[in-house]
Amino acid sequence: MSLRRFVLRRALSVLPVLVGVSAVTFGLFHLTPGDPVSQVVALNPDVSAAEEARLRERWGLSGPVWRQYLAWLSDVLVGDLGREVRTGRAVSGIVWRRLPETIALGLFGWLFAVAIAVPTGIYAAVNEGELGDVASRVLALSGVSIPNFWLGLLLILVFSLYLGLFPVLPPSRLPLYHPETLRYLLLPGVTVGTAAAASLTRVMRTSMAEELNAEYVTAARARGLPERTVVFKHVLRNSLVSVVTLAATLTAGIVAGSVVVESVFNWPGLGSELVQAIDRRETDVVMAITLVTAVAVVVANFLADVLYALLDPRIRYD
Amino acid sequence: MANRHEDADRGRRLDRRNLLATIGAAGTAGFAGCGGRGATDPSESSDADTDDGGPFPLQVRLETGGTDERIRMVELIAESLQRTGYFETEVETYEWNAYLDRVINPAYQENGYLPAIGLSGTFNPHSFCNVIHNSANVGACCNLTGISDPELDELLDSARYGIEVVEDRELRAETYDEIWRTLAEERYTSFTHFGVETAVTGAAVHGFGLWPFQEGLFGYALYAPHDEQVAWIDRENPPGDADLGDLVEGGTLTGAVSTNPNSFDPPHSSDTTSTMLQNLLFEGLVVNDAEGNVYPWLAERYELRDVRDVDRTAYEPYMRTAGTTAAGAVDVDEQVIVRHPADDPATDDEVRVLLPADAREAAADGTYGMWFRYELHEGVEFHDGSELTAADVVASYEYYENSTSAPQTFDSVLAAVAADEYVVDVYAQVPDAEAERELPGIYVLSAAQIAAVEKGAIDPREGVTPVGTGPYEFDEFVDEEYLAVSRFDDYWVGSRGVAEAFAWFDGPDAFPDGPAIDAVEVEVVPDDATRTGALRNGEVDLTYDVASGTLADFDDADDFLVHAVEAGGYDYLQYPVNVEPWDDPRLREAVNHLIPRQRIVDNVLNGWAEPAWTPIPRIARGAGTADYDALAAALKPLNEYDVERAEALLEELAAEYDESS
Repeated sequence: MSLRRFVLRRALSVLPVLVGVSAVTFGLFHLTPGDPVSQVVALNPDVSAAEEARLRERWGLSGPVWRQYLAWLSDVLVGDLGREVRTGRAVSGIVWRRLPETIALGLFGWLFAVAIAVPTGIYAAVNEGELGDVASRVLALSGVSIPNFWLGLLLILVFSLYLGLFPVLPPSRLPLYHPETLRYLLLPGVTVGTAAAASLTRVMRTSMAEELNAEYVTAARARGLPERTVVFKHVLRNSLVSVVTLAATLTAGIVAGSVVVESVFNWPGLGSELVQAIDRRETDVVMAITLVTAVAVVVANFLADVLYALLDPRIRYD
Repeated sequence: MANRHEDADRGRRLDRRNLLATIGAAGTAGFAGCGGRGATDPSESSDADTDDGGPFPLQVRLETGGTDERIRMVELIAESLQRTGYFETEVETYEWNAYLDRVINPAYQENGYLPAIGLSGTFNPHSFCNVIHNSANVGACCNLTGISDPELDELLDSARYGIEVVEDRELRAETYDEIWRTLAEERYTSFTHFGVETAVTGAAVHGFGLWPFQEGLFGYALYAPHDEQVAWIDRENPPGDADLGDLVEGGTLTGAVSTNPNSFDPPHSSDTTSTMLQNLLFEGLVVNDAEGNVYPWLAERYELRDVRDVDRTAYEPYMRTAGTTAAGAVDVDEQVIVRHPADDPATDDEVRVLLPADAREAAADGTYGMWFRYELHEGVEFHDGSELTAADVVASYEYYENSTSAPQTFDSVLAAVAADEYVVDVYAQVPDAEAERELPGIYVLSAAQIAAVEKGAIDPREGVTPVGTGPYEFDEFVDEEYLAVSRFDDYWVGSRGVAEAFAWFDGPDAFPDGPAIDAVEVEVVPDDATRTGALRNGEVDLTYDVASGTLADFDDADDFLVHAVEAGGYDYLQYPVNVEPWDDPRLREAVNHLIPRQRIVDNVLNGWAEPAWTPIPRIARGAGTADYDALAAALKPLNEYDVERAEALLEELAAEYDESS
């Protein structure tokens, strides 16, 4: 199968995935008790049952779940993501305003992960079994194990409250493209990227170590090539295949992690919005963010597959 | 009945012994201070007859949701019950929304469970008794266990409605005293504690004061001449200095709120944060001081001109017939001012309703419960430069129709009519002793703005700048991030002077003619740890909603001030009075004596609450009791932690059961 056909086929398979994800989320969300109307009126003794019924009808919250889902789906197909019950604002506006913030944070976390993982992994593989290798493995294990909300709070405590190097609140008056935003991105970005950095380091080290033991490496060394050329030109390139795919799939982890990290750092992205929307039972907001997240993960996996093919021409798609 | 779900839930039961060890580290002090006759050691307390059947040990399932503090409180109560040996307790906790859905349901009362919940009351004493005891609130908020006592219902109604209590404040206070005594004797509910409103300020904030409700956090602290309250920013002098002579004008106050405001459109938002921020921009006809006393504000004066002995059926001649929908809603587009008490949209196909135009007609004909007249100050300026007139007030009332705030506005307001350019008549549906506070309880908006926007669109997110008469005018708002407002140069109180503006003002000459602080910036920070971190780091000067454990840290720190005032929040536990054996008042009395109120306040809430020795907190005492001290003296012994009394009652019950079997 040609690469073009592969791309086309994968692109088409995205649709059923999205429908599946949205149906499951919608169903699960409706299994949880409470809706935005009951949230708004629940503790207000002045709201009569008739008034509550009227609100539910107005927001399309009455009727069976499947009918509500179909109504939602047909709206989405014509580009209407719905409205937030509490404020009456369009959900698409909320998503568009918050998406860049999450992308910026995710990108920073991802770059941080790669910047840490690749050199550390190479170093550990080349110096296998030595002190540096052991240290890197311990660090990687801790990085994977530390819950990111805890790491975030710890970073705030040390770097903001004790050392006073960073502000606790993100810059509410700075546009995202302002250079100073980088400073504010540092702590949440590091928090988001740590787990990814840790798992990438481990994969980098393992695949490097494997390749270093391959016969072509012995052959290259026998030909008298300098070690630097062997490592960086031959081994690195071959071991990058699995790293690249992992890095792409880690995007899913970064997106998921941003939910917690954005809440801890008050970062105005999709993750913190999602947490609040779940709390307030805002179905349309939750569904829209789930959809965007699903698209991001699917696209990332898709890119991983394509990159895999480009990096290793032996791979065929049948 | 109570153990119907026992098997299913056995696996989830908690080990209460262990829990006590973690909760009650400071337990000895709590016991000593709780006024009971000493705690019983668990090892010597299992003297109940557990073997010969009977209702004992009684399976008790306590349910709750919400804050960790409430959950720990319920666990503490369960432990206290368990210790007597007469009860097998289990605690079930739910996520808050799930819990509300579960308990606000007419069928819930049949389970025989004991729900614990927290509500927020107001200056109105009714909010501490009617909501949770009136049989009309079964299945709604918040008579959770189906309490249905016709005599009590009547007593509750007679304390608020009717010409007698409207005209006789003393009678009203005495009726409430009778309600509190009835509640204390019947023990349908155990009130555990009353909340304390808290806020923490940084070193730069001086003269800060708290209103008992969060909505007033900024507005009240910055400028409230009715309580001689004014705050200012001074980064030089040590914190705590609140001498008016040292007042510094200018500066910016930065605050942090915990949720995003839903809207700047007053009637189209009911969340606390929205009201809190609107408070900077908008004003009402009257204001309340920290004790709930009413002072005229935008109205120069007001008076009650007439009271008529009517009930809601009096509007029948003015009513129209409207259809209903399948879901049980009235099928009209206009605001339903009054629905005929005999009609129910859930069961009837047609209901009789009073619509706004007809309500005005009824009022003009002299069919109304009360008639209040408000005379406005002349020359009050809106932020857009236009002058406040009666037309703005009337348009504001109409703007509240069919809004989020309509239910609590049109449960009392019949109509608002302009009598003159600066005179507004507001009519109440029935004689209501709370009308003086309830009727003018709206923000006055600009009629021009109301005419220019779509309903609900007075919000910067809709591209509309909110226009009010308040001391601050809107500068900028970024959704879910921050709000900036700055002092309105032509603020009417400033231009005429506080003493001139308010005939009732008797404060010192040094009291400023408007707020001292130039600008207010409010950051939206939902995460508690981040918000307190920002305060600690000096990025904000003021925040609230701080966990009681963290408050103590701030209290110990020199650079921060913790402010606290008794507020309207209250927690209560309700008994399933329609399920055996809870229909026996002696059982409820015994359990009530086992609730360690002082220990809950000391250990669970770290002292940031008031034990509920009576069902009425400080803020509702104005209208809610004739003599609080006498009431407290009479009721406190009934609500104290008293294991001996409880065990005596339980023994009596057990013996009675043995005899009858």
